Amino acid sequence: MRPSSILTAVALCCATAVGAQQPDTTSKRDSTRRAPRSAADSAAKADSAARADSIFIEQQLRGGAGAAPSGPATPQPATGSTGPINPRLLPDVSAVGDLIADLSPDGSTQEDGSRFGIREVEVAIQAAVDPYFRGDVFIGLNDVEKVTIEQAYLTTTSLPYGLEVRLGRYLMPFGKQNLTHRHDLHTIEYPYVIQRFFGPEGLKGTGLWVSKIFSPFGFYQELQLTAVDRYGEAPEGLTTERPMNRRLSGLAYTARLRNYVDFTQAANLELSASAITGRREQPLACDLDPLICPSFNAVGARQSVLAADATYRWRPLQQGLYKSFILQAEVMRQLNDATPELPSGAPVAAYAGPSRDATGAYVFARYQLGQRLFVGSRYDHVGETTPGEGSLGAASGYIEWFPSEFSKLVAGYERVMPGGVAVKDSDRILLQASFAVGPHKPHPF
Amino acid sequence: MNRRNFAFALAAALLAWPLTAEAQLKVVTSTTDLYDIAKSVGGNKITAVHISEGYQDPHFVEAKPSFILQLKNADVFAFVGLDLEIGWMPLLIDGARNPRIRQGGSGYLDVSRAIRLLDVPGGNVDRSQGDVHPLGNPHYWLDPDNAKRIAGLFRNKFSELDPKNASFYSANEKAFDNRLDAAARGWAAARAQIRGKPVVAYHTSWRYLAEYTGMNIVAFMEPKPGVPPSPSHLAQVMATVRRTGAKAIIIEPFYDRKTADLIAARTGAKVLVLPPSVGGVRGLNDYVSVMQYDIQQVAGAVQ
Repeated sequence: MRPSSILTAVALCCATAVGAQQPDTTSKRDSTRRAPRSAADSAAKADSAARADSIFIEQQLRGGAGAAPSGPATPQPATGSTGPINPRLLPDVSAVGDLIADLSPDGSTQEDGSRFGIREVEVAIQAAVDPYFRGDVFIGLNDVEKVTIEQAYLTTTSLPYGLEVRLGRYLMPFGKQNLTHRHDLHTIEYPYVIQRFFGPEGLKGTGLWVSKIFSPFGFYQELQLTAVDRYGEAPEGLTTERPMNRRLSGLAYTARLRNYVDFTQAANLELSASAITGRREQPLACDLDPLICPSFNAVGARQSVLAADATYRWRPLQQGLYKSFILQAEVMRQLNDATPELPSGAPVAAYAGPSRDATGAYVFARYQLGQRLFVGSRYDHVGETTPGEGSLGAASGYIEWFPSEFSKLVAGYERVMPGGVAVKDSDRILLQASFAVGPHKPHPF
Repeated sequence: MNRRNFAFALAAALLAWPLTAEAQLKVVTSTTDLYDIAKSVGGNKITAVHISEGYQDPHFVEAKPSFILQLKNADVFAFVGLDLEIGWMPLLIDGARNPRIRQGGSGYLDVSRAIRLLDVPGGNVDRSQGDVHPLGNPHYWLDPDNAKRIAGLFRNKFSELDPKNASFYSANEKAFDNRLDAAARGWAAARAQIRGKPVVAYHTSWRYLAEYTGMNIVAFMEPKPGVPPSPSHLAQVMATVRRTGAKAIIIEPFYDRKTADLIAARTGAKVLVLPPSVGGVRGLNDYVSVMQYDIQQVAGAVQ
């Protein structure tokens, strides 16, 4: 007997509930007036029939053992709601756990070297602040960075003309996947072009975000502009003569234009273009000589990235629970200032930062096999920006299973192909389990 | 009409047309049922669009940016509520940047507030119970008495926002109620045939129809709301069908009917793919037609 058949038989024996949801108890039931005299016979026949049914279902469905049903809940007719649902004005509080197992054959590839780790726990607190603003706070907890403010922003809710202003720290509106929380990606990690250009957790910024939606051509368009305190995270161990943000030209600025078109009710396309520019700390070759670099070892060099992204979605409305398809691609071109102005205090120091422009891209596809099961694949390529760094290619495949809307299990295999003759290709095997508890708001489309 | 008069008439028509268009209330509804009832009450004084389709699971609608454009200028956004649209509506409301349709705005219309609800959990609720709705069963539009309440709610809202046409909305509401009453007299015999008859339903969508018709839902195909049927649960449903003599398995057009067909093949029950909403089946383009179709189909199956 197959294991799934055994499981089914056990479930049949153990289960006691019949109408596991909410059988109609409000109607008059003819069936409740059944004669009790042959209860034992009926039960035996029912057991026999149930076993035959289970075997038949097994043959038809080929497994898919599920949990035994719970007892019925009694429906309670009630009058319509009359009072407030949240009389104490409590915010929505939720938490997301993101667990990673790294079974790569050549050792863990995680930042902290763990084989089994909690990549992050994210606590979200969200509510309307007043009639004019909404507040969203996301606190990140992990073993490496401990506690961090992942995002915290105030968003206007009542501006006219399709305008929205956001103040605070947020995932930058640059490209497509960068706007998705890492735990909610269809893959386990961000594409390599995002990781290399902006960091493993994507691009965040603290500052001002202004956006406007419009549709002069009959389809959805949105312009998103930001000005943030700095370009990406501050690199560890690099100190500049003066703060990057001393002048307004040292801040980072982004622009993104989204264009969304429905082809049919089932198919649509989003095409967007993004740009970012700002100054980043880049290393100087000081050779630890205090005469060359007295109190700093980095210079602010301008870096800009131009990007385009396209996402095609197909999801037939009637079969949307069971079928869908996404094809997505992003390409980014990083432009580096190879000859930044060196600080006046280090006239003879040599610039050791990225000196080449580079292109990175990925293509991702995801197909839904069933109500809870998806498969996906991604191909990445990133060019080198610093001599010797090497380009990078990677191909990966994923299986996603959603036990419910609030939990996700992912298994991924990745072949990493670094450029250069001295570096070997390597394999990565990653597993992810993520879950959400509490009223977590839906993620962006 | 000479050329000069024609030019005046044309200019007047062009000037009057946008004024007329502006005077119409812009109504967006989350479902086709609310759309149809809103149109019945609002008539030509409103323009209305709906977000989900009748053959689509309203729990799982993609929050497409094109819907944001519809909501951006809406005067009224009417939705089922009770967390039916929780997976997509917040994104659309936030994205629309329209304070009129935000909570507390004049056009934020939670239709469930007018409804006598079923299945409001009595104790603690958590997600181990499946995709349970902690505020009550949201599929209330499948009770025609609730449709009248919905029409009344629209009449109040439209009259509040457009008071000069209040009598027009009241008259339309009354006409809708009369049409529904007339239809109900027509399906009274079918309703009597259904009363007390055991049926199986896939999801809890049909609880309000059962309340209205008196049909007896003896089992649900889903072991818990939103949870796909497991083999062990299906075996229990089969046993229940045999025990109760249920003759119909009611399933919405957006669910995979394979499991329902399995049970039907083993028990002799009939699978009824019934539209839970307007447009759920081609040709059923208004609320009364949907209710009439559903009731007659069930009556025919449980004979």
